[in-house]
Amino acid sequence: MLTINNLQKVYNGTTVVNVPALNIAAGESVGLVGNNGAGKTTLFRMILDLIRPSKGEVLSMDANVMQSDDWKVYTGSYLDEGFLIDYLTTEEYFKFIGDLHGLTDGDITERLLPFMDLFNDEILNQRKYIRDYSKGNQKKIGVAAAALSNPELLILDEPFANLDPSSQIRLKNLLKNLRENNGMTMLISSHDLSHVIDVCERIIILEKGQVVQDMRTTENTLRELETYFTV
Amino acid sequence: MILTLLTHQWKSELRSSVFKKSLVLNIILGLLILYFGSIFLFLGFYLDDILLKVFPGQDVVAVFNGGLLYYFLIDLFFRFLLQEMPVLAVQPYLHLPVRKSKLVHYLLLKSIPSFFNLLPFLLIVPFMVSAVVPAHGQSMAVVWLLALVAITLLNNYLLLYFKRQMSTKPLYTLAFGLTIALLMLLDYIGVLQLQVVSKAIFGAMLQQPWLLAVPMLLLVGAYTLNYGFLKGHTYPEELKVHKTAAVTGANIAFLNRFGEIGKLIELELKLIWRHKRTKSIITMSVFFLFYGLIFYNKGTYLDGFGFLIFVGIILSGMPMFNYGQFLPGWQSAHFDGLLTQRISPYQFYRAKYWMVVPVILLAYVLTLPYGFFGYKIILINTATLLYNIGVNVFVIFFFSVYNKDRLDLSKGSAFNWQGVGASKFVMILPAMVLPILIYLPFGLLGVPYAGIAAIGGLGLLGVIFKKQLLQFSANRFLEHKYKLAAGYRQSA
Repeated sequence: MLTINNLQKVYNGTTVVNVPALNIAAGESVGLVGNNGAGKTTLFRMILDLIRPSKGEVLSMDANVMQSDDWKVYTGSYLDEGFLIDYLTTEEYFKFIGDLHGLTDGDITERLLPFMDLFNDEILNQRKYIRDYSKGNQKKIGVAAAALSNPELLILDEPFANLDPSSQIRLKNLLKNLRENNGMTMLISSHDLSHVIDVCERIIILEKGQVVQDMRTTENTLRELETYFTV
Repeated sequence: MILTLLTHQWKSELRSSVFKKSLVLNIILGLLILYFGSIFLFLGFYLDDILLKVFPGQDVVAVFNGGLLYYFLIDLFFRFLLQEMPVLAVQPYLHLPVRKSKLVHYLLLKSIPSFFNLLPFLLIVPFMVSAVVPAHGQSMAVVWLLALVAITLLNNYLLLYFKRQMSTKPLYTLAFGLTIALLMLLDYIGVLQLQVVSKAIFGAMLQQPWLLAVPMLLLVGAYTLNYGFLKGHTYPEELKVHKTAAVTGANIAFLNRFGEIGKLIELELKLIWRHKRTKSIITMSVFFLFYGLIFYNKGTYLDGFGFLIFVGIILSGMPMFNYGQFLPGWQSAHFDGLLTQRISPYQFYRAKYWMVVPVILLAYVLTLPYGFFGYKIILINTATLLYNIGVNVFVIFFFSVYNKDRLDLSKGSAFNWQGVGASKFVMILPAMVLPILIYLPFGLLGVPYAGIAAIGGLGLLGVIFKKQLLQFSANRFLEHKYKLAAGYRQSA
């Protein structure tokens, strides 16, 4: 699904990301963990063609993301509020995203059904603009919009941050369902170790832009991660 | 403490991205300030001679005093339109152990060093030196000056108060505005002679220095009024002028017929409608439609061609220039989102083209009545219309990839330098100077109408090769998009 070859990003002489090789197979769900400044978001931005790599390439389904736009058809993503068109209402925003993917109003309603628990009656029919929602609710809107097109690849940056505990658990179950029922490939970064282990079958630890560990999730993973991050 | 707060304010101004980023812009700004500053200074020193010529035989100071009341009323009006409310600056201090009263004093003092309060004194002080001091003596002149300072600040605080009341008690503000309008009207129909009143008030000030107490007391009163109000309302949600907005602007069903392009246009129209800065650009553009009146009713301009071409470009093109100069910075807040969606750069620019062209056409139609000043105007405006939709649109698209500054759309557009860079000034060359240069050789050869046709013809060429030009713009966009996205991610 995703192949990263010799990818590097250098800012003023500091290497922020340096990934010689990384493969993510279709249907795999990968969790990316690492402390602040490890380069998680920068890596995501290069995968989404938002930052020009200093070196190397990202291939999505064997096509370089910089040269072809095809990946946009099957990739859903939400990194931060910069992805939301914040002067629209939630409905208008979902409609806009749906239209780009050729979804009818009925499709959109249907695709949002699994999100109703997560939305907790605070998202739809609110008669206000997205910019006036709280951070947590904005995140819910962004994640739902990313999953709206039922993408083959879903990329989320810290989806659990800013959410209340109930919402975190609901989102976790939702992501698991999406993976199991739709076979979605996922790339999720998180600071919440237990959630990300629950959702992902493979964990990658990033430190100073480098992949330092790449492992399958087992019952021991949480302990290993905690040992790793205990300084 | 207040001093520390004021130094923070000073730092925030100095370190704002506008000053830091562009050297060229700073130089141009500096030159503009120097230019207007010296004009005012010059005027100030020679004002007595000028007034003597216009009103021979009258006392210069008395004439000047007669105009002061008008000036202060007009000043209030412009402040109402343009003055910004220094409000949210206190937010980071509210949870710290700083007394509320200090924060409020800081908020109120902070409004003093503004353009509105300083500029008039560039004129008044030299006038005082050259006219008031010789006639009335130094100490009287100082009293007079202090009175003017007090009234300027009184205006400052009165306006702050009433503008702040606008969101909660709009009737107060309305009553205030009506009172001023009524004064102006009474003066106009001759019931009340503001000039005489003004002369009497400020003349008395020069005779009876203790009268200075009156404006001083008024100033203290206005300050206390503001202080009392702010003290009771130091909560960000109450201070903020912006409240959670009700949703306005329904879906525009008609645009759905145009597929993806229609969607993108609808998106951008909502953007314009739902933000303060974009809305004020629309208002400004409407004012520019009257720009023609300045030139067309003067015979001297009507004889030539060069000026009329310039005016023609502006009349139909101003809405586009006003809005387009910042493209695609308007969408800076959700630029990453747009880039990851299925929107090709070609469609992106095509949507912008089809949003701008109807506006240009509308401006053209609305300014057609200027044709009464001469059929020549219609000919020239048609040629400039073609030039605007065939060339200038693409000039704007060409420069759009240099707009790397994130824009905060919740601020007004007057005196808003955010996003203004050197490229804006370079853009003027092809947009407004080039058509005149095209015309020039024809004009010199004595075939001016051929020159007009050449301008229109070039525009027509642009329209014919629209597709290629849009593709060219899209390709440039592809090249520069990383830079744009990186710039927009930096908060302004």
